[in-house]
Amino acid sequence: MSTKKIVIDPITRIEGHLRAEVEVDEDGVVQEAYVSGQLFRGIEVILKGRDPRDAGLLAGRICGVCTNVHFRAAITSVEDAYKIEPPKNAQIIRDLITMALFIQDHVVHFYHLHSLDFVDVTSALQADPKLTSKEADKYSDHPFRNSDTHYEAVLTKLQNFVKAGKLGPFNNGYWGHKDYRLNPEQNLILISHYLEALEFQATMGKAVAIFGAKSSHPQTQVVGGVTSVADMLNPQRLNDYLFVIKEAKEFINRAYLPDMKIIASAYRDEMKAGLGRANGNFLCVGGYEFEDDQRLFCNGVIYGHDFSKIEEFDESLISEEIDRAWYSGEGRANEVCYTDLNEDGSLKTAKNDDKYSWIKAPRYDGKTMETGPLARILISYSKDNQLIKSFVDEFLNETDLELIDLSSTVGRNCARAIETNYICEYIFKLVSRLIQNIKYYDTETWTKYDFNSLEKSAKGRAFFEVPRGVLSHFVNIENEKIGNYSVIAPTTWNASPKNFDGKRGAYEEALVGIKIEDTSKPLEVLRVLHSFDPCLACAVHVIDAKGRELSSYKIKTL
Amino acid sequence: MRVVIVGGGIAAVYLANNLKKQDSGVEVTIVSDEKNPPYDRIHLCRLVDESEDIGGISLPLDPTVRLELNQKINRIDTEDKRVFSDDSMFSYDKLIIATGSVPITLFDIENIENAAVFRSADDCDIIKAGVSGREVVIVGSGPIGLELLETLNEMPGIEKITLLSRGTHLYNRELSIDSIKTIEECYTKAGKIRISYEDEIVEKRIVNNEITLLKTKKHEIQNPFLVFGVGIKPNIQNFKESLKCNKGILTNLYMQSEDEDIYAVGECAEVKDINFVAGHVKECTMQADCAISHILGKDAKEFKLEASTDMLKVGEFDLVDVSSPKFSCGYEKVVIASKDVNRIDEYFINDDKLTKFIGINSNVDVGYIESLINSGDEVDINYLYQNRLIGERGRLICSCEHVYHQDLVDIVVSSGIGSFSELAPFSQAGRVCGRCKMMVSNIIKESQHLIDPNMPRKTPEDIQREKEVAEVAKRIAKFNTLHPRNNLTTDNLEAAMASLDIGKREVNSWISMVTADMKLHPSFEEVTLEGVKTLNKVPIVWLELADCSGNSESFIKSANPAIEDLIFDYISLDYHELLMSASGDQSETILEDIIKNQKGEYVLIVEGAIPLAMDGKYLRIGPKGETGIDLLKKCAKDAALIIAVGSCAFDGGVVAASPNPTGAVGVADALGRNDVINISGCPTNPINIVGTLLSYIMFEELPELDQFNRPLWAYEGRVHDNCERRGHYELGEFVKEWGDIGAKKGWCLFEMGCKGPYTNVNCPTMKFNGGTSWPVQAGHGCMGCTEKGFFDKFANERKYVEEEN
Repeated sequence: MSTKKIVIDPITRIEGHLRAEVEVDEDGVVQEAYVSGQLFRGIEVILKGRDPRDAGLLAGRICGVCTNVHFRAAITSVEDAYKIEPPKNAQIIRDLITMALFIQDHVVHFYHLHSLDFVDVTSALQADPKLTSKEADKYSDHPFRNSDTHYEAVLTKLQNFVKAGKLGPFNNGYWGHKDYRLNPEQNLILISHYLEALEFQATMGKAVAIFGAKSSHPQTQVVGGVTSVADMLNPQRLNDYLFVIKEAKEFINRAYLPDMKIIASAYRDEMKAGLGRANGNFLCVGGYEFEDDQRLFCNGVIYGHDFSKIEEFDESLISEEIDRAWYSGEGRANEVCYTDLNEDGSLKTAKNDDKYSWIKAPRYDGKTMETGPLARILISYSKDNQLIKSFVDEFLNETDLELIDLSSTVGRNCARAIETNYICEYIFKLVSRLIQNIKYYDTETWTKYDFNSLEKSAKGRAFFEVPRGVLSHFVNIENEKIGNYSVIAPTTWNASPKNFDGKRGAYEEALVGIKIEDTSKPLEVLRVLHSFDPCLACAVHVIDAKGRELSSYKIKTL
Repeated sequence: MRVVIVGGGIAAVYLANNLKKQDSGVEVTIVSDEKNPPYDRIHLCRLVDESEDIGGISLPLDPTVRLELNQKINRIDTEDKRVFSDDSMFSYDKLIIATGSVPITLFDIENIENAAVFRSADDCDIIKAGVSGREVVIVGSGPIGLELLETLNEMPGIEKITLLSRGTHLYNRELSIDSIKTIEECYTKAGKIRISYEDEIVEKRIVNNEITLLKTKKHEIQNPFLVFGVGIKPNIQNFKESLKCNKGILTNLYMQSEDEDIYAVGECAEVKDINFVAGHVKECTMQADCAISHILGKDAKEFKLEASTDMLKVGEFDLVDVSSPKFSCGYEKVVIASKDVNRIDEYFINDDKLTKFIGINSNVDVGYIESLINSGDEVDINYLYQNRLIGERGRLICSCEHVYHQDLVDIVVSSGIGSFSELAPFSQAGRVCGRCKMMVSNIIKESQHLIDPNMPRKTPEDIQREKEVAEVAKRIAKFNTLHPRNNLTTDNLEAAMASLDIGKREVNSWISMVTADMKLHPSFEEVTLEGVKTLNKVPIVWLELADCSGNSESFIKSANPAIEDLIFDYISLDYHELLMSASGDQSETILEDIIKNQKGEYVLIVEGAIPLAMDGKYLRIGPKGETGIDLLKKCAKDAALIIAVGSCAFDGGVVAASPNPTGAVGVADALGRNDVINISGCPTNPINIVGTLLSYIMFEELPELDQFNRPLWAYEGRVHDNCERRGHYELGEFVKEWGDIGAKKGWCLFEMGCKGPYTNVNCPTMKFNGGTSWPVQAGHGCMGCTEKGFFDKFANERKYVEEEN
C-alpha cells in the first residue's frame, strides 16, 4: 500500500516551533506520525555555574506562555536542595499565581487557540436567536448571558465581523470543512462566549500580576518565599483578586462547561470510538496542598487505560532516552549530535535509529506517558479524590459518557474544562486560608536563611502539575554553584519522539489512525495536536534524569 | 572655535546668526568693508525714494556676534590662519568668505559724478543726490534695472527716464513677446519712461568728471544720470592669490574651498562639481546651512540645487519666476494667456518635464509648480490649463519660506498678532531675503479686523505643533494610498470594535495612553488614532526565532486586550506563528508572497535570538527546514523597517547568556546592521511595540534613539529616578530582608539588589497588565531586563558591584 507524507510546519496557534509529519494511506488514514521540536536553546547549559539563587529568574525564561511555572519549579528545587521550607503564606501566594495561570491558560487555550477547530462561524450566521437561548438551556440551568436580545446582538456583531473581512479572530482557514458538526445555534452560543473570553483572559492576566508583578514572566518569587508581601497585606489587592476569580467562576460554570457539553454531545461518536486516543499510559505527580493533608490532585500512574490499578508515582522510574533525539550519550554524558534534515527539508525518519527532534524521549518505567489535565482527572478520580469526584461525575452524568471516553481528542478538552471549574472552587478555599493566617498575625512571607552557612553541595528537585501536565526541575549544586540542571516539561512527555523500540509518544500515538478528509486542509491533525495544548519552548531540554541521578553533559561544536 | 566671516550682506548675517543659534559657544566675527551695519540690499529702492532710512532696512544680527566695519580684507595668511585689512588683523579657526558680488560697469565711473551702480547704500546716496533735474538712463533690463525703474518712475523730481536694452527683451530673454508687452505697458503708460530696445551707448562726452552727453544707437541724451544695471560678478579680487578661483572661489559641496579651513558662501562662491554660482538669496542661505553643518560637524549636508523662485512686484504687475537647475535653452514653451486680466503663464518644458515657469499677474499655485519641477514628473499641460486657478492658500507671498497669503491670515487670526515684529516667533516670512517684507506687513494690517477678540490666542508652540500634526496626517494619508494584501478598511475596524463592545471612551483612553507613552502632546491624539487606523496598510511579518513567545504573549494579554488583540489582527500581521490560523505550507506561501511582492513596504518584527553556531541549525522553520538565520536574512533584506522585540532579539537575551551554547546573537548583530530598532525587555511592555509601529507610520524620521537604538521616548528615563519608592531611598528607608517591616511598608529595594539605578525604561509609569503592577511595586525590585547582557549582570537579588563581573 502506498503512503503519502504530509509535512506541517510551522504548526500555528501553539507556542514554539513544532513540526508534524504524517504518512497517510490512500484513504487518508494516518499510518505513522513524527512530531519534532525544531529549536534548541540550551537553557540548562546556561544555568550551569551560576548562583543557585538565580536559577528562578533565568529558568523562568524557558517559556513565556507557561509563564511562572518554570520560575516556581526552579526556586522550589533549590529550596528542596537546601531544605528550606517557605512559610505557609508564601506557598499560598505562589499557589494563587499558579492557579490564576491555570484558569487563564485553559480558557485561552480552549476558546482562542482551539475552539475554531470545532466551531464554524459561517454556520452561526444562520442561527435563530430565540432558538439559541432554548438550545443553551439544554446544557445549563443558568446559561451565561442567555437572552434572545443578547444573541441578536452577537449575531449583529458577527455580521460586522464578516463585514470586517478577515479581521478579528474568526479568520480560521478551514470554514466549511465537512467535519464541523455543531448546529447554527450551538455555533452561535460558542461564538458568543469566545467574545466574552477575550476580555476574561486579560482580567485573569491582572490576577496573575496582582501578586506576580506582571504577566508574562512574573517576578516575585525568591528562594525562601515571595516578595509581594505589601500586596498580600493590602485588603484591596486581595479583594481585587477574589473579584476576578468570582467572575471566572461565573464564566466557567455558565459558559465554558456547558460549551464542552455541547461539543461532547456533537462529537459523542468520536469520543466513544476513542478518536485521538494515545496509548492509555497516564502520569500525574499530584500536588497543591488542600486542607487536612489533602491534595488538589492525586499522584499516580495508569497503564493501558486500566483505571482499576493505579500505581503510586515513583520518581526513580523516570528515564530519558535520546536514541532518536539530536543528542548522543555515552554512559551518562550527553552531547548535541545534530544529524540534520533531509535535503528537501523533511525529517530523517527512514531508519529506526534516525534522529529527528530536539525533544528528548522521557520514559516512565520504559514507557511513553501522557500527562496533562486528562491524566490528572483520570488518576485523581480513580484514586477516589472526593473533591474532584463530584465535578467529574456531574459532567459524565449529564453527557452520558464514561470515564474512558475522556481519553480522546474531545475528551482531553472536557477534562481541561472540568479541572478549571474545580480549581476555581479551590482558590476560594486558598484565599480564606490566607485571610485566616493574616487575621491571626501570621504575616511571614519568607524563611530566613544564611546563604554562607548552607551546604556547599546539595541536590534538589521539584515536581509540579502545571496547566499542560507534569513539570519537573532537577538541580545539582556543587560548591555553591549550579553543577547540573535539568528539566522535563509536560510537552517533553507528550511530544516525545520515538525510541529504538519504536514506541510512539502521546502526540504521535494519538495521530495514528486519524482519517484526514482533505490533505490540503489537515484540520484533523490540528485538532489532535491542539487538544494537548502544545508548548514547544518548554519541551526542548538537555536532560538525563535516570532516577534521581542527574547526568553531566557537554555540548560540542561550539 | 573662532569663525571669521568676511562680508556684510545677507549671507554673512545669516551665517552668523545660525552659527550662534546652533552652537552658542562659537566666537563669530563679521568683517565688513561697509560703513553701515549689515542691511538688506533687496530694499535699496526704499533708500532711493527715502521711504526708509538705513536703519529701516538693517538686518537683525545676533548681539553676541562681533561686528567690524570699514575693514576691507586684502590678504589671507592661510598658513597662520589670519586675515588682514589695511589696519587690522583677525585670526580664525574657520574663515567664511561671503563677500557677494560687485556690479559690472561698461566703463570706469569711479570719479564721475552723474553715474552710479545700484548695489549699496552709498550708491543710493549718489543716485538720490544726482537724479533731480536730469534724464535718467538705466542700462540693463534685468530685474535690478526694472526695480529701480519703478522706484524712479514714482519720484517727483524726475521727468524722463530711458531704459536701454541691448536685446529685444525685458526681465529675461526667455519671456514671450506678449509678456514683454504687458510689462512694458505698465512702465510706459504714464509717459515718463521710454524703453529703447536693441540699443546701447556708443559715445559719451565727459567734462569735469561729469557726463554731459550720451549717444546711443538710437538716441542722444543731454545732461543724463547714468545707472548701470547690467550685471554682477563675484567679488573675489583679493582672494585670487590665496585660493583657487574660477568665476568664483571654487568649493566642494560643503562650500569648503581647497583650504579646509576656508569656506565660501553665496555669490562669491562657485560650487565646483556643478559649476554653479548662486544668484538667489534662497540658494545663499542653503549654502550657508551646508557650510554651518560641515563646520559644526553635525549631519553635514551637501549643497543640492533645487528649483528657485523669484518674484518681482512692480506697480500694476507682478511676476513669478520658478526655475529648475535643469532648465536649458532647448526648451519647448507653452503660453496660456488671458488678455482681459493681463495674465500670462509661460511654461518651459525640457524633455516633457517642466523646468521653468514665468507668470505675469498669474495666480497659479506656485507651491504646486515648485513641487512639479522638483519631482521631475512628466507634465500634463491640460492639467495645468484646467488648474490654472489660484490655490486655496492664495498667492505665494514669501518665496523663501513658502508662505502664502492665507497662511499669514491664519497666523494673524489664530495668534492675534498686530505687527510684523510680532510675527517672528510664528514665521520667518519676510525675514529671509526680505523682499516681501512690505507685503507681509500689509497683510498683517489688513487682516486685523478678522481677529476675534474673544478667541484664545495661540502661542508659536501651539502653531508649530499644529504644523507637526498636519505633517503626521499627511504621512498617514500617504500610507493610505498603499494597497497591501490586507484589504481591510477603517470601517472594518470600527465594525469590529463595535462587535467587541469597545466604546469610544475606551478607545480614546487607550489612545491617550499610547500618545502619552510616545511622549507626544495630547494634541496629537487625533492623528494617533488615525495612525492606528492606518496600521492595516503596513504589512507586518512577525518572526519568532529562538524565543519563548513571551513578547507575543504579553502583547495579547496587555492592558486592553480587546483593543490590542483587534489591532493585532487589524495590523496586516500577515505572518505570525502563534496567532495566525493557517499552518504549514499555507503560512509559508503567505510569507514568500509578502517578501517578494511588497519589497520596501513591510515591517519586520523579530522576537527571539538567532543561534549562529552549527550553521544556525539549532533552529529550523518551515517545510523546507530553513535555519533561523537564513529566514531572518531573507525577511530582513527588503523590509522597510526592522524592529527587534524583547531581550533575545535585542542582544540574544537569555539564550546568549554565558556560555551561550548555541552561539546566539540579537537581530542587529545577526544581520550586521545598525538600523534595527530595539525594544528590549523581558518581556517588553507591549505598549512600546505599538508606539514604535505608530511612530513609524506617523513620522518621516525614526524616533530618536539611544546608543542601543532604543526609542528614547521609552528608554530615556532611569527606573530609579521615576520609581514610586524613590522617596524612601532619599530617606534611607531600605528593605533589609524579604518580608521585613520595610517590605511590608514598601520601602526602597536597593539593598535587595534592585537594579533600577542601572536601568533605563518606562516601567515605573507604564507598568504591566493595564497598570496592575510591576516588579518594584510587587516588592522584588528591578532586574534590569532592558539592559545589554542583563542575564549575566543583573538577573539576581544581590546589590550590583562592578567587580563581580
